[in-house]
Amino acid sequence: MSAVFDVISPRIRPRPKPRLLNGVIPFVVLLAGLAIAPLMLTPYSTVMLMPALAFGIALLGMNLLFGYTGLLSFGNAMFLAVGAYVAAAATQAGVLHFELILIAAASLGGLFALAIGALCVRFTHIFFGMLTLAFGMLLHSFLFKFYNLTGGDQGMRVLRPMLLGQDWDMTATQFLSGPFYYYCLIVYVLLGLLTWRIVSSPLGLQLRAIRDNESKARYLGVRVYRLRLFAFVVSGVFGAIAGAMLGVSTGLADPELAYWPQSGNLIFMMILGGAGTFVGPGVGALIFVLLHEVLVSSTAYWRFMLGATLVFLVLVLPEGLIGTISNHLQRRVRGDAQ
Amino acid sequence: MQYANLFLAGLFQAAILFLVACGLQLIFGVQKVVNLACGSFYALGAFFAITAVGLLHQWQMPMIFLVPALVLSGVLVGTVGAPLELLLRPVYRRDPSYQLLLTFGLLLMFQDVFRFFWGAAPRSMDSSLYGIYGTIDISGLQIPVYNFLVIGASILIAMILGLSLKRTRIGRIVRATAENRNMTEALGVNSSKVFTMVFTLGCILGTVGGALVIPTSAASMTMAAELVVEAFAVVVIGGLGSMAGAAVGAIIVGLMRAFAVSLAPEVEILSIYLVVVVVLLIRPVGLFGRSAS
Amino acid sequence: MSAMLSACNVSKSYGSYQALKNVSLEIGGGEFVSIVGPNGAGKTTLVNVLTGLAAPSQGTVHFMGNSIAGVGPVKLAAMGMARSFQLVNIFPEVSVWETIAVAVSSRLRRASNPLRTLTKDPQIEDEVQHIAGTLGLHHKLFERAGSLSQGEKKLLDIASAFALRPKAILLDEPTSGVSSGDKYGIMELLVKAARSEGVSAIIQVEHDMTLVARYSHRVIALQEGRVIGDMSPDVFFKDSLMLEAVIGPVHSSQKKNEGEHQPC
Repeated sequence: MSAVFDVISPRIRPRPKPRLLNGVIPFVVLLAGLAIAPLMLTPYSTVMLMPALAFGIALLGMNLLFGYTGLLSFGNAMFLAVGAYVAAAATQAGVLHFELILIAAASLGGLFALAIGALCVRFTHIFFGMLTLAFGMLLHSFLFKFYNLTGGDQGMRVLRPMLLGQDWDMTATQFLSGPFYYYCLIVYVLLGLLTWRIVSSPLGLQLRAIRDNESKARYLGVRVYRLRLFAFVVSGVFGAIAGAMLGVSTGLADPELAYWPQSGNLIFMMILGGAGTFVGPGVGALIFVLLHEVLVSSTAYWRFMLGATLVFLVLVLPEGLIGTISNHLQRRVRGDAQ
Repeated sequence: MQYANLFLAGLFQAAILFLVACGLQLIFGVQKVVNLACGSFYALGAFFAITAVGLLHQWQMPMIFLVPALVLSGVLVGTVGAPLELLLRPVYRRDPSYQLLLTFGLLLMFQDVFRFFWGAAPRSMDSSLYGIYGTIDISGLQIPVYNFLVIGASILIAMILGLSLKRTRIGRIVRATAENRNMTEALGVNSSKVFTMVFTLGCILGTVGGALVIPTSAASMTMAAELVVEAFAVVVIGGLGSMAGAAVGAIIVGLMRAFAVSLAPEVEILSIYLVVVVVLLIRPVGLFGRSAS
Repeated sequence: MSAMLSACNVSKSYGSYQALKNVSLEIGGGEFVSIVGPNGAGKTTLVNVLTGLAAPSQGTVHFMGNSIAGVGPVKLAAMGMARSFQLVNIFPEVSVWETIAVAVSSRLRRASNPLRTLTKDPQIEDEVQHIAGTLGLHHKLFERAGSLSQGEKKLLDIASAFALRPKAILLDEPTSGVSSGDKYGIMELLVKAARSEGVSAIIQVEHDMTLVARYSHRVIALQEGRVIGDMSPDVFFKDSLMLEAVIGPVHSSQKKNEGEHQPC
């Protein structure tokens, strides 16, 4: 009776993992690379690498939102700003424990995301993108215009925080390339593992089901609204944590962090590495930061080169670097097996 | 009477915004692409107009030709849309996020195109030109005639566009393609041509808008990204894909900005986005939008 | 036979168009009911009302004693009714195992804790294996759903619905788009699985009269929003007027009102 199906089956070999390079191992490799990088780089270059950690953390959340849940936000840079301004306000008010700053940033980012997400995740596709962009710009114009509170276009200074209750008596470069770099890396590791747990949980699976087919997911009992909101809140929390780190590493919280092209850059990094693969966005952040450094130091027209890279990626490698390599490997593995 | 002044200033901004938003709507309506680079075309029109007016000076043309020259320069430079449309072709049938990304890439590239040709500093033209057509006295207020010309030009363009979409053969083909691309292709319409045409027209609307704004404000590197935000507000308020929506949205945003700038400058953009958020919450498809099937 | 699913004097209008006119029916446990009718007869509207997707304009709908008027899909699943659609409806980038696990995990409320394990959860593993086995998908567990054949996709769609352990299942042309050779295989598996999984009522919308004749216990015929017949297949297929009302127009003038009912 089911003979029809039995005849088909032997042709396709079962694969235990649906996609190669999509596990947690490549991510661990990336982190290991970031851990040994300072040993081989000058302190100055290590500081240059700092944004890759921060963006990597923000992208863990954005990837959960887009790569896994299918919602492309054009406003996530606002959470970077939330984190950076929290760091600025806290350090200026004398709260120097970075642990407290991170907790405050994460809480505020989460609250922002909860309030904004409650409205936004009712929409998908372009409307979600536009609405998040609108909220991002609301924050930007608030930061920009309320000079007395936020310093306007000057931004607010972020003072050097204490790490683990310790004051570090060293130059800024030493601090940022040493203790601060490794502190952020450890936070990245922890949040990476947390995200990995989420994506490999039943909830993570349901997020992917929503991405693939929202209506079907509903009929299987998946609480679409609640889960989308969850993903958005995670992206907000991670974004704010990343923002606090960026604020410390540049010593400044400025409104440009919330400006919508900054969200565009985050998406750029995510697609560059490959959205939906676990390690992709982290790799994308690293490559973006390196590319940015190289281009800025070699040409005045680095924006043009970045834009051209993005156009090239969308047209030629839509699955991003990791997605493309993964597909290529997969074809070879299958080719060898036959 | 301060309000009459603000009202007219708002209408002037609305006229410019309408042109850009119209281009955005046209491209979205037919190609289903949200063009993030619309702000870049606006900026391109502005920068190019500076050069065009410079030429006008150089050739010692009478400055009475300012408005025609600006429109003409906008139309000319807007034709770069045609080759750029080729880049978009591979992504028409892909996820909208890729279309957004592609046009975001164009936006980044345009920034440096401006920097290359016109330098990083804001460029403005001889400010006396703003008054070249004289002023009209409205109960004690001196309003430059230029403002009225731009508002009139915008209304004229809206009417021509609306009529040609409704009445002409090519307009009907464009609307049919917007409705159902596959069907019109089956009927023998070359939709690639339609797409190139529509995209170019959309870009021209943006560049003309940028060109016309130049006598009143400087062309700068930041104007592209800023305009995207306003144009988005317009189309979200009005409804994606609707021309009437673009007009109403432009008037709302234009007036709100004008009033906010002088009465409560802190909440200028804030107020626009509050309207956006409220509209989206009450009527997600916008005031004139059709609900997605 | 107590009614599991009942509609009482249900009318549904969209604007001035009345899609359902005073429909009443009761479906009990153990029944396999086919809803038939020409295009535009209101079959899809009826199914939408019966599954709580659309609230009736008038009348009531009850499932296991509770009103389900407009409850929406998530509650429907929790109440014990599953629905599958005419068009293939799967998660293309997700594997067979994972597709079924979506349903199992939602039924077991596993999504409330984002840190819970998925692959090492014995209950999920057991149930997924079990359902996959029942519907003949056990050797495809790690295939991407998008790479399956049309017939397998249908089976996966049905398997995920069964994984909710529903009391009743509503199927919109379960075998449309499948080659005629595979149709019976799918239907056999479906009926067998329903029996072993405790799905007691099966309601299907079906155009294929051979399938209606072969599997259903009861036929409900709709025309222009009214129930024109509610009878056993034996009676139905002998009633030439009824048959003409249902099948006749299908071949002559089929159009409008319900675009989703294009014949495949």
